[in-house]
Amino acid sequence: MRKAWAAIACASILAIGVSACSDGESETSAEQAGDGTDTIELAEFPDRPYWGDTHLHTDNSVDAFGFGTRLGPEEALRFARGEEVTATTGAPTQLSRPLDFLVIADHSDALGATRRLYDAPRWYVNWVIGDETVLRWYDMMHESPEQSTRAIGELISAAAEDRVPEAMADPESAAEATKDIWNTQLSILDRYNEPGVFTALAGYEWTAMPNGNNLHRVVMFRDGSDKTRQTVPFPGLQTTAPQLWEYMKGYEEETGGRVLAIPHNPNLSNGLMFQMTMEDGSPMTPEYAALRAWAEPVIEATQIKGDSETHPYLSPNDEMASFGEKGWDFGNLSLSEKTDPSMYAGSYARSALLRGLTLEQQMGVNPYAFGMIGSTDSHTSLATGDEDNFWGKHTGNEQSYTERAMQGQNLGTREGRFGWHYLAGGYAAAWAKGNTRAEIFDAFARREVYATTGPRMTVRVFGGFGFTAADWDGNWVREGYTRGVPMGGELEDQGDAPSFLISAMKDPDGANLDRVQVIKGWLDASGVMQEQVYDVVWSDMDTRGRSGGRVAPVGDTVNRDDATYTNDIGAAELRTTWTDPDYRQGQRAFYYVRVLEIPTPRWTLFDAVRFGVTLSEEAMADAVAQERAYTSPIWLKTQS
Amino acid sequence: MNLPNWTREPLVHFAVMGAVLYVALTWGGTPPDPSSRVISVGAAEEEKIAESWTLTMGRSPTDAELDQAIDAFVREEVLYREALRLGFDEGDAIVRRRLVSKMDLSASLAAETADPTEEVLRAFLAENPELYADEASVNASVSFDQLLFSSEAEAHAALSRGAQRGEATSLPGSVTESIMRDVEARFGLQFAQGLRDLEPGLDWQGPLASGFGWHLVRLTSREVPEPNFETLQVSIANDWRSAQIKERKERAYETLRSAYRIDIDR
Repeated sequence: MRKAWAAIACASILAIGVSACSDGESETSAEQAGDGTDTIELAEFPDRPYWGDTHLHTDNSVDAFGFGTRLGPEEALRFARGEEVTATTGAPTQLSRPLDFLVIADHSDALGATRRLYDAPRWYVNWVIGDETVLRWYDMMHESPEQSTRAIGELISAAAEDRVPEAMADPESAAEATKDIWNTQLSILDRYNEPGVFTALAGYEWTAMPNGNNLHRVVMFRDGSDKTRQTVPFPGLQTTAPQLWEYMKGYEEETGGRVLAIPHNPNLSNGLMFQMTMEDGSPMTPEYAALRAWAEPVIEATQIKGDSETHPYLSPNDEMASFGEKGWDFGNLSLSEKTDPSMYAGSYARSALLRGLTLEQQMGVNPYAFGMIGSTDSHTSLATGDEDNFWGKHTGNEQSYTERAMQGQNLGTREGRFGWHYLAGGYAAAWAKGNTRAEIFDAFARREVYATTGPRMTVRVFGGFGFTAADWDGNWVREGYTRGVPMGGELEDQGDAPSFLISAMKDPDGANLDRVQVIKGWLDASGVMQEQVYDVVWSDMDTRGRSGGRVAPVGDTVNRDDATYTNDIGAAELRTTWTDPDYRQGQRAFYYVRVLEIPTPRWTLFDAVRFGVTLSEEAMADAVAQERAYTSPIWLKTQS
Repeated sequence: MNLPNWTREPLVHFAVMGAVLYVALTWGGTPPDPSSRVISVGAAEEEKIAESWTLTMGRSPTDAELDQAIDAFVREEVLYREALRLGFDEGDAIVRRRLVSKMDLSASLAAETADPTEEVLRAFLAENPELYADEASVNASVSFDQLLFSSEAEAHAALSRGAQRGEATSLPGSVTESIMRDVEARFGLQFAQGLRDLEPGLDWQGPLASGFGWHLVRLTSREVPEPNFETLQVSIANDWRSAQIKERKERAYETLRSAYRIDIDR
C-alpha cells in the first residue's frame, strides 16, 4: 500500500498522455528562474507597498479539488497578475487591480492526491488501494458537488483526528508522488515570475492540526527553482512545528537559500498556536524560542476564516476588537472541540505579542516577536480580497451559489458556521525596494510588512527618539529610515519616550479613513501584561471630539438597499507625530498601528443586493464593517 | 524525460488511445458484447490484468494478489454490464461530464509542458498585436510634479494663480521615471487614467481627480517603450501556452466533430 499514491499518479498520467511525465525542467531565463538579485534597479528606500497574497490554494490542494476547483497554478498566476480567467463555475472574472506578488500555498499533504484519485480508474481505487474509506470518498467525489464537498469534509476531520487512511497518510510515498507536481509548479512559477513586474514565490502549506486544532503554517521560499528543486514540501500530518523548522534549517544549509514560515488562523487553534510552554507542556527553552523566532518572523493575522488580531474577551476596552470573530471563536478548526475563553490568550496576535514580552523577560529570547500580514486562504485559485468581488472560500461557495451567505459552511458534516461568517479575505503589503523574490522575501524577513482586510491603504510608521511635527516638512521618509526604524524594527530604551511618524493614506480606489490608532502592549513594574489603544489621529478632529476617553463614531453612509457608500465622511489621509505619553523607563513594550476605514458594505450585502438574497437579522447586522490595516510592531527593548 | 514533440500531440494521443481500445476490445478475436452474460477470463485476460497490475505497482502480482485482482475485475465487469443494460450511462449528467472533461484534459495537458521556439512566439506576436497594445502604456515611464487640493474649485483657483503650493500630503510631490504600473498603485486607477490623457509639457495641467482629491499636474516626460519582442517574450510565451490549451481542445473537438453529421432544427 505504501506506493499506492505514487502509482496512482503514474497510472493517471499514463492514461492522460506521456508528455506530463517530463520532469518539468525550466526553459525560462536566468532572471526569471533566480531570486531576482541584480535584475532591476532598486529604490534607495522602500518607496511603496507591494501587494500580494501569500496563501492561495489551487486544484493541487487535496481539499480544493474535492470542493470542486478545476483551476490550476497557471490560471492562479494569470488571475493574480490581473488577467481575466474563467472561474470553475463558469463566469469570467478579474481583479480590479493586479497584485504584485503571489505565493501558491497548496497543502503539502497528499499534494495533488484528490486530483489523482479522481482521475484514477475506479477498479484501481477498489483493488489496488483497497481501502474502503478511500473508495467511498472516491465515489462521493464522482457523485455530485455536494457529495464531493462532504467527502472532503470527512477527509479534513479525519486528518484533524489523525485517522487518515494509511494509503493517504504515508509521508514517504506522498513525497515521491508529489515531487512531480512540485517540480512542475516550480517551472510554472518561474515562467510567470518577472522581476520588476510580478513576483511568483514558491511555497506550500504545512497543515498540522492535532485534534482539530489549527497549527497551520504557510512556508515561503526566497529562491528560484535552482534551489527549490532540491527540496520537496514537508508533510504536516504526524509532524511537529519544531520538525518543520529543522527541515527549514536543513534547506538553508544544503542550498544556501532562504525560507520562512507564516502561522495562520491561530484563532482556530484553541490556544495552542502561542503557548507559554513547549508543545508538550514542558517549560520553554531559549533554544526553542530562538528557533521559532528565526523561522517565523511574520504571522497571517486576518483571512477568510476570521480575524486573529485580538478578541473582545482579551481586550474588553477595545471597542473595535470584534471584527471577524463571529462564527470562529467558539470552536477549533474542525469543531471537534469547543473553545473555552481561557484558551484565547494563545490564539490571538496581540496576546501572543504580550506573551512574547513575558517569555523574553524570563529567558532572554522572544519567540513571538512577529510582524503581521493578511492573505486570502482562498481555495478557488482566485486571490480575491475585495468585498465586491468575493469568489468564496472554495468552489462550493463561488458566486454562482447565490444563497451561499446563509448556507451552512461546516464542510458538510457539522453545525455552527455559515457563509456570512467568512470574511472576503485579506492582503499582505510589503515595503520593498523593488518587486523581486529577494526584495519581497527580505521585507517579510525584517517584518517591514503589514496586514489589511482587503483594501490597499498605504501605511507607514517610523519609530525613534525625538521625531517632531516639523519632520513632515522635509524628506520624512529619509529621516525615518536614518534617524529611526520602520515597522518591524526594534528600538533600545535610552531613557526617553519613543516617538513615531505615522502616515496612513486611504486606498486610492476605496473608502476614506476613520482613524488611526496605536496599540501598545507592555509589562508593568510587577511584570503583568498590559495593553492600551490610543486614538492618535482621526478625521474631522476639530468637530469630532472625545467623550469618556473615546472618539465619537465616524458615522455610516452605507445604503443597505443598494450596497453603496459615499466618501462624504472620513479623511483621505491621516498623519501625525505621536509620542508615548505613558512611557516608563525600563519597560518592555511593543507598538503597532491600526488603521480603520469608514463603514463599507461587506460581501454579504453585495450578495443580498445582486442576487436578491434575504440575510438573517444577525447576518444583516454584520453586513457592514470597518475594514482595517494592522502594521507590524516596533519593539522597545530594554538595554542589554 | 524528454520526448519528441509528436508524442505531445493530442491527435496522436487520440489515435493511440483508439488503437489501444481497439486492441483491448478485440483481444482474443471476440469483441465483448455488453449484452452477453458470459465473462471469460482465460490466459490472455489474466495476463492483461497482471500486466496492468505490474504497470501501476512496479512489480508482478503474487498469486493471491492476482486472484484478488481477477475477482475485482469480474465484479466490476458484471456491475458495468448490468449498468449498461439498465442504461445508466445514458442521460446521466455525471457520466457525461466526466467523459467530456477527460477528453478536454487529455488535449490540454500536452500544451502545459510544451516549449515554444522563438519563431513560434514571434509569429504569435505578429498574429495577436492587440494582446500587447496596452502593454506599452502600462510600461510607459513618466516624470511629473503634482499638487493636491481637497476640492476642484481650490485646484482651479490655484492653477490660475500659477500653482505654487498644494495641501500637505504624504504623496510624493515629484515622481521621476516611474512606470505607470507604479503610478497606478500609488495614485489609483482614476488618476492614472487622467494622466494617460495628458500631453507632456512644462505647464501645470488639470485638475485630475483621484481618491485623495484634485491634483494639478506638470507632466514633464513620458517615454512609451517600443513594443519589443525581447521584453514581451515572457508574456508572449505564457499567452501562447494559454492559447494553445484552448486551441488544442478546440482542434481535438473539431476533429471528432467532423465525423458527425449534425442536424439542428431551427
